[in-house]
Amino acid sequence: MTGALTVPAERAADLPAPLRAAASAGRFRFATGETVESLASGRRMVAVGLGHAPGPKSLRAAGAAAAAALLGEDRVVLDARARTPNEAALFAEGAVLRAWRPDGLRARPDPEAPRLSAIDLVTTDAAPWQVLAPALEGASFARDLVALPANHLTPSRFVHRLRPLARLGIAVEVLAADRLAAEGFGGLLAVGGASAHPPALVLLRWAGGGGAPVALVGKGITFDTGGVSIKPAEGMWEMRADMAGAAACAGAILALARRRSKVAAVAVLALAENAIGARAYRPGDVLRSFSGRTVEVVDTDAEGRLVLADALSYAARRLRPAAMVDLATLTGSIVLALGHERAGLFAADPGLGAALAGAGEAVGELVWPMPIGERHRADLDSAIADLRHCLPGRMQPDACHAAAFLREFAEGVPWAHLDIAGVESRDEADAAHAAGATGFGVRLLDRFLTHG
Amino acid sequence: MPEIVFAKPALPKSGGLALLLAADEPLAGLAAGVEEATGGALGRGLAAARFKAKKGETVTILAPGAGLARVVAVGLGKRDALTPLVLEEAGGHALGALLGDEKGAIAADGLAPNLAAHVALGASLRAYRFDRYRTTEKDEDKPRLATLCVLGEAVKTRNAFAPLKAIADGVTLTRDLVSEPPNVLNPAEMAERCRKLIDLGVKVEILGPRELRKLGFGALLGVAQGSANEPRVVVMQWQGAGGAKSRAPLAFIGKGVTFDTGGISIKPAAGMEDMKWDMAGAGAVVGLMAALAGRRAKVDAVGIVGLVENMPSGTAQRPGDVVKSYSGQTVEVLNTDAEGRLVLADLLWYCQEKFNPAFMVDLATLTGAIIVSLGHEHAGLFSNNEELAARLREAGEATGESLWRMPLGEAYDKQIKSDIADMKNIGGRAGGAITAAQFLQRFVNGKPWAHLDIAGTAWADKGKPTTPKGATAFGVRLLDHLVATHHES
Repeated sequence: MTGALTVPAERAADLPAPLRAAASAGRFRFATGETVESLASGRRMVAVGLGHAPGPKSLRAAGAAAAAALLGEDRVVLDARARTPNEAALFAEGAVLRAWRPDGLRARPDPEAPRLSAIDLVTTDAAPWQVLAPALEGASFARDLVALPANHLTPSRFVHRLRPLARLGIAVEVLAADRLAAEGFGGLLAVGGASAHPPALVLLRWAGGGGAPVALVGKGITFDTGGVSIKPAEGMWEMRADMAGAAACAGAILALARRRSKVAAVAVLALAENAIGARAYRPGDVLRSFSGRTVEVVDTDAEGRLVLADALSYAARRLRPAAMVDLATLTGSIVLALGHERAGLFAADPGLGAALAGAGEAVGELVWPMPIGERHRADLDSAIADLRHCLPGRMQPDACHAAAFLREFAEGVPWAHLDIAGVESRDEADAAHAAGATGFGVRLLDRFLTHG
Repeated sequence: MPEIVFAKPALPKSGGLALLLAADEPLAGLAAGVEEATGGALGRGLAAARFKAKKGETVTILAPGAGLARVVAVGLGKRDALTPLVLEEAGGHALGALLGDEKGAIAADGLAPNLAAHVALGASLRAYRFDRYRTTEKDEDKPRLATLCVLGEAVKTRNAFAPLKAIADGVTLTRDLVSEPPNVLNPAEMAERCRKLIDLGVKVEILGPRELRKLGFGALLGVAQGSANEPRVVVMQWQGAGGAKSRAPLAFIGKGVTFDTGGISIKPAAGMEDMKWDMAGAGAVVGLMAALAGRRAKVDAVGIVGLVENMPSGTAQRPGDVVKSYSGQTVEVLNTDAEGRLVLADLLWYCQEKFNPAFMVDLATLTGAIIVSLGHEHAGLFSNNEELAARLREAGEATGESLWRMPLGEAYDKQIKSDIADMKNIGGRAGGAITAAQFLQRFVNGKPWAHLDIAGTAWADKGKPTTPKGATAFGVRLLDHLVATHHES
């Protein structure tokens, strides 16, 4: 096979001769993710350290480091024959995750830009890789969506990108604005009301082997200005990623279809643009949600929970799900709480919460359990409506308030909520991560759905 | 505060009487006595109010007859779900409803003495009032209640209450310290109040600025250097375990910033008055030591508090300064308002070095981020030790001082890497409470340790059944319970 070669190694004996010499000369310590390069044979060769007795985390990190070192190559060979097939697959997974990048919007090619577009994995048994590959494709699908700017990804163009999933056997159903009005999606319509691009609810059904599906409910705000409660200009461009929850749910369904899974699941994606305009909803408005419950709007920038509330009650009533998991870039509060390393996990059902946390641990998409306290719910009491959707003022535990709000719309179905604000994209690339969209949630959901 | 006394269950002839009623039970004991003496007025009143004896439900019937000024029915919920905490809350509700008469009584005749004692505890916790600076309050605005009599098995209940009284006294001490205005309670004054624990048998050592300089508490001194009020570190030792063999003590460490302006990185003016309670961690440690000594706890414990005032001035520490902590590690101070961790850093290292404790628990009103994370219902719990963390959470549930575990990890630790020193004192907005805990963890030297970020729970804008609004003394009961449950032979 041609192309640059990379070899994961725990010790010198794992390396071919030129790399062994380079490792010795370069005082290579075989630390996880450490790389050393040899050009002596006329071919780029990179040894990447695995550390001692590498687990999944180290293998992925080493794969990522290998890809990072060779991003300038068109094609790279991962020679992992010295590892078990399972280890080889995890190593390749790290490489594939690191090699992702948003393409397609440059009019002129940048000669300095990464080129890596093909990875050849050399291993003794491809089966473990085939287990991982569908979720990687799903993650890549989600990341491409998250990376798109909001003028390229309006709700209708989001729908347009989802339609081709039908070719994989996924039933794609779209509830357009008139249908939403007829059905009483008061939250989704209010949030999407000011935009020239009307909102939509998309259902992606994967029937699997039949039975009650797991509903994956995603927040898909294609751009979030904050509405009348407008956001500060600084950093507002990042709000193009405010649909990362919906993208992750779509990616997880794609993965199920790719692996022809027996698991039944349905993604419910609430797509809207939270714009500002003459038809914008206002702070103080009272909305009638799909559930019939009325909601007092305190801050139009807390829009995600309004669209999710409608989507959750719709899913609970119409889809008879066995469980519901929602994903949303929901609050700044969760970023203050957990930073960029873990998503917030709010689960009304302890078993569901534990399963999600375990799945996240297994794939390296970490979550942390967060509370919904009595007071968080009591804080949402409204003087004029059934409840209000957030609290005014700074220094609020808004992530907990949002979760307490959403719980009211789960209608008794086992439910969990992942607040993925802060983990949906990364500011800077490093050895382990590409810059930009992470696809957080796709691999977690895939693992959760396929391992229970 | 009313005096709490205990007496045999006899119907009082005047004043107020609170009845503790479990759900779905007929009136019995003293309650039945009231019903009879009032010619059924009690039962009629409860029926009119649709009283169901739900937990926390309270109905007051004024002048029901039999000479009583009022009868207060307090719901307990189902009897099989009764816990000490439920009874404390019932005691708190009862006390709150009895404040209007000079004499009050609570009928605890249906309860075992050890449970009845918790009713008295709840009542005494609720009775707290910080009124020493009110000079013009009218008599009719003051609570009248002078004596609260708990009716039941008097001797046994009184005996069971004795250790709980010590806990209540510890809570009161903490609330007083936290409520005091910052011009009164500066580091020197707070140290003097710690010294009073000598009367309870606590060994108290006060380190002043000279000793601290000599020891090399550079991080703490950097925080203190902007204030005219010089810092103190107080070391309180309670040796109650007895026996010749001295065991590793339990260590409790408190942040005591008697006022926090933020320093040169000054805080916004709105709400700055709250920063008088930035010593609530230290306040809780002092109250805890008083509680342990007051009830002669069979444990060796050491409490260490770092008392400083964080002021902007010509001598104040600047953003960009590098200080050398007592551990020898250097810290780049990038925000002078992240001062609590600097104080705690020196205390933690000193504590583990000097006392080799079994574990260290620190309490601090450390970050605004923990309020945005969890709100006011839970304090943040960070720990490097699973057993300690689990025991702390259990103790929190048992005492109504709830904790929520928060994560630590290498990725967060990276956020406090400094370009020129061993670490910097802030790690950015993201995960702000976690990076503060990571900072502290660098000073525990691998010892079992837990950090309680009590910024959201030390002060309450709304009262609760056993906690009037204001200083909560969060941590005193929780840690006392931890000690009592796991560390007393």
